[in-house]
Amino acid sequence: MAASVVDATIAELVVAAQGGNHAAFTTLYARFHRAVHAVALARVGAADAADVVQDVFARAWTRLDSVREPAAFAGWLMTMARHRAIDRARARGGGDAPEREVAVAPAPTAEAAAALRAIRALPEAYRETLLMRLVEGLSGPEIAERTGLTPESVRVNLHRGMKLLRERLDPQAATGGTP
Amino acid sequence: MSGDYLWDRSGEDPEVARLEGLLGGLAHDAPLAPLPPRRDRRRALIVGASVVVIAAAAVIAVLATRGSRPASPDGCGASGAGFAFTSRGGQARCGGVATAGGVLPVGVALETPPDVTADVTIADIGALTLAGGSELTLAATGADQHRLRLAHGRLSARVTAPPRLFVVDTPAATAIDLGCAYDLAVLPDGRTQLTVTSGVVELAAGARVAHVTRGHTVTTVAGRGPGTPVAVDATPAFAALVARWDAGDPTALPPLVAAAGAGDTLTLWNLLANGAAADRPAILARLDELFPRPEWLLADELVAGKPEAIAGLRDVLTSGVWLAPDATPAPPSTDANPGVWR
Repeated sequence: MAASVVDATIAELVVAAQGGNHAAFTTLYARFHRAVHAVALARVGAADAADVVQDVFARAWTRLDSVREPAAFAGWLMTMARHRAIDRARARGGGDAPEREVAVAPAPTAEAAAALRAIRALPEAYRETLLMRLVEGLSGPEIAERTGLTPESVRVNLHRGMKLLRERLDPQAATGGTP
Repeated sequence: MSGDYLWDRSGEDPEVARLEGLLGGLAHDAPLAPLPPRRDRRRALIVGASVVVIAAAAVIAVLATRGSRPASPDGCGASGAGFAFTSRGGQARCGGVATAGGVLPVGVALETPPDVTADVTIADIGALTLAGGSELTLAATGADQHRLRLAHGRLSARVTAPPRLFVVDTPAATAIDLGCAYDLAVLPDGRTQLTVTSGVVELAAGARVAHVTRGHTVTTVAGRGPGTPVAVDATPAFAALVARWDAGDPTALPPLVAAAGAGDTLTLWNLLANGAAADRPAILARLDELFPRPEWLLADELVAGKPEAIAGLRDVLTSGVWLAPDATPAPPSTDANPGVWR
């Protein structure tokens, strides 16, 4: 284990949290909550997404001992987040439709809401990655660490997703610009 | 252009930067909520094995002494799994046995005589007070959910936990905590009344759900589930119109909508969510007069009853309830609000 939880690797934090270390789990939350929020926001509105984040981490805390391989924590957490967000979306009566309500205070502008709708209409891999980048402010390498994906996959998802998003937000500019 | 701004913020990409600015306000920045109790599987195995050994020993002991003395009737001792409780003003009955306190196990009822109340600890997420003349059963407790059944009487609960972790069933409905404090009563005629003093609670029965925020109260309607929430400080005339509407009087809606004020937007939202399509245009028109609806919440979608639009309007209307959860004074017990218990 590193000298402090701040310097610890994710695997070290997971092992410590499995042993009941609250500080380690809080550090895991600090590193992952935005990625989990992005996964939820891809499927439900902002108010529900915030609930999903807390729900996911409460469940993660109680079920952490089921993570056999600490290095697999990121993928395990993201899978749980997807399932919980889908459950929440279904509870709202919308099946697994990607477009959910948006509700935060202050309310987003019409332009922001339109951009969010366009992102939610993208394929899932692009949708989540772009939300992590554009909403949560994570860089490509940070997204790779948070999701367990390879940096190459994240880079491809970001660029292909962004290309699609540009086309949908401004079809004329996209056809006239560089691909 | 050098660098790859989309990947690592090196170089420039004005379009990406513009989208970051546009959407960055939606980023998550809430702290970690209080964590539920941890299940330790290794400890559970040890405890489970110990329980088996102890149970076997107890069976042997009972068999050995059968007939020599009566078995203890007390199933709510001072230790064990369950919710700790203490009675005030006299003894409560736990599992049919009079006691001043102990632990309420799963499946056992806690009953309070008319002049006795009981303080119950809800795991590590909160507490409740059970009023005199009540019966409460612990249906389940665990990391996923703490569930109680209020057969009759009243309780006042205050919970700090992730949404939907704390649930109370009554004969007429189910109160689902979304992070809050509330009073719940089973009225003598069997109806359920919920009054929220902090945060948000859902009262559900079948497919019908009332979304109740702090400062509002709702009562179930026999055979129909939850009625329409109304502010505890609403005028008696407005509350009477809501009661008429909930009882099935369609003529109550126009004057109800016209009489609604700025403090009645949640009532109007519940009418919008649970009402008929033909009624939604008038309800939305009045809401628009009382509350500045964000332009991304489209009137057409709301009038059509599109679930995500309805939920979006609810979240905008109720977002303020989380800002000062204790700011609302306790609801008064008045003739207009007879079910509120403090």
